[in-house]
Amino acid sequence: MLQNLLEPTPLPPSVRANRLAIGSPEYNEILDFLYDEAEMLDNLRLAEWGELLTQDLEYNAPLRHTRSTAQFDQTYIRTVQHLHESYGSMLMRIKRITDTKSAWGEDPPSRVKRMVSNVRVYKTDKTDEYKVESYLLVTRSRFDFDYFDLIPCVRYDILRRIEGSLKLARREILLDQVVIGTPNLGIIL
Amino acid sequence: MQKNSQRTLADGTRISDLINLETREVAMRTLSDPELYELEMERIFAKTWVFLGHETEIPKSGDFMVRDLGSDSVLVTRDKDGINVSLNVCPHRGMKISTLDCGNTQAHVCIYHGWAFKPNGDFIGAPVEKESMHGKLLTKEQLGLKKARVAIYGGLIFATWNIDGPSFDEFLGDAKWYFDTLWCRTDKGMEVLGPPQRFTIRANWKTACEQSASDGFHVLTLHRWLSEVGPYRKPGSEGGGGDLTPEMYGSEVYTAHAHTMRCIELDRKIRRLTGKDPSELSVKEKLEALPPPGVTQEMIPELLRNLSEDQLKVITWRPPQVGNFFPNGLFEFVYIPTPDGVVGVMALHAYVPKGPDKLEFVNWILAEKDTPPELKATMLRLGVQLLGTSGMVEQDDSDTWPHQTIAAKGAVSKHITLKYQAMYETGKPEGWPGPGDVGDGFTKDDTQWRWWQYWHELMTAES
Repeated sequence: MLQNLLEPTPLPPSVRANRLAIGSPEYNEILDFLYDEAEMLDNLRLAEWGELLTQDLEYNAPLRHTRSTAQFDQTYIRTVQHLHESYGSMLMRIKRITDTKSAWGEDPPSRVKRMVSNVRVYKTDKTDEYKVESYLLVTRSRFDFDYFDLIPCVRYDILRRIEGSLKLARREILLDQVVIGTPNLGIIL
Repeated sequence: MQKNSQRTLADGTRISDLINLETREVAMRTLSDPELYELEMERIFAKTWVFLGHETEIPKSGDFMVRDLGSDSVLVTRDKDGINVSLNVCPHRGMKISTLDCGNTQAHVCIYHGWAFKPNGDFIGAPVEKESMHGKLLTKEQLGLKKARVAIYGGLIFATWNIDGPSFDEFLGDAKWYFDTLWCRTDKGMEVLGPPQRFTIRANWKTACEQSASDGFHVLTLHRWLSEVGPYRKPGSEGGGGDLTPEMYGSEVYTAHAHTMRCIELDRKIRRLTGKDPSELSVKEKLEALPPPGVTQEMIPELLRNLSEDQLKVITWRPPQVGNFFPNGLFEFVYIPTPDGVVGVMALHAYVPKGPDKLEFVNWILAEKDTPPELKATMLRLGVQLLGTSGMVEQDDSDTWPHQTIAAKGAVSKHITLKYQAMYETGKPEGWPGPGDVGDGFTKDDTQWRWWQYWHELMTAES
């Protein structure tokens, strides 16, 4: 029962026949969206990024477990997660950074690069929605530390076309690490 | 043999010289010294009871999870007789027995040579039985996994290697009276709402743990954003925007073994919710106006039945809201204002030492078993938003501890001292019925100083 309340809306399947060809106009438009988004976030244009979100946003990052190969499907945990956001809670995270003078976890801000790759786009049953899979490698540099925190993950997005523009309606982030190797997820993935 | 209290570090410093018991100062090098770290693993983590998790994480016979008891990996398992904790290391060649996070099995088989163990750690056998590959010099009884002593308290799992040491109740001491109001208040007890979040912070475990010993003062500055934006923003009547000072008044409890807690006054919240003077309300009326986190109106009769009159007085006046289990556990039972009313969030943390300059932050989110699923989901999502990996509050902590750890290495800064000199001058508040040392009023340093006093006691103990 609790699991039902916490489980995100199931994503549509990634059907090969519905895949948009790399280089097609729609594919390129979506690639532009992902690149622009990465640029906004890397450059702290958070309020602008917030405008890309739909009001029914689901945004979550499951926990991972190390399990045996036979139990690979049980390596994703969607009860307690690292992030489990709605539109309202996401705006709150943005406001904490943009509207206060004391968001010390990201002030001074990290220097971050969001490297997006392996982008695959699928048409869905809804004519205005695309399912988008991408790899994301985040490098994060804090203060004068000589190392980078690396945050590799896969993202499963639903992009929706609203009045001609693409918006992010859904994002699930599958992180590779069981024990996250950065002191917090105070940055947006 | 040299006495521990006289024992010196490689550079000649005595451990007892690192703390000035008169002036309540701690030498900063304590926060990152590798030699001290090794001693802490032996004298603290191999000696005291250590929090490992919750029994609802492994509900079925054969369920297991891998956890850290100080610097050692342990198997925490359930069998028909209850919960067991054993060293997760094969006594044959020292391979880690389980390399998974959790699972279910009646036989833990080492992948190296196949030695097999029951969930309780007993040796089952080695492959090729007729060749006696485990040898004939030791009996099978002698070849089991090293077993820790286990205590279950309010569903929480604690273990210790100190087999003949103090009982768990002795270890809790006066803190038990208060902790019972949290962990033992309802008939069915609590459950975790899922596995814990885990993440790494490049900081010494003590930076997190001395803070966990009820540091209320840091909230005003490090977590000031709470008063600046969103639903937590302070309205003018409560100290004005930007001032969280009123939230830090109440009682602070500190006990002999450095379990401490911050008991924050509820009067203002109850007055706002009921429009009445709290002193004119009965215990039952106050519980109904503002039930503790995770508690519904239906559970209130259980609290009235399970807790003493004195305990009920405390939880409706100044309930424990944040505190620690020495050495490395923290609990939060906090009341969060939301547009839909006050929602409680309950969380447990373990700050697992991973070397002098690294800790693993483990965050569990809990509710009462009887909390309705919708409320559980709300508590869980609020907990994720505020605490742990991405928590908007605890992000700020996780960025602070690494700087303290780095500073503790400077040739000059390692000799400066951490100061715990803000002291209660009050004694217990009038009418306070609970045991232990208790301060009244604005948060002070006494709880954290108690943490260091006990650290010092253990680090210089003779046995």
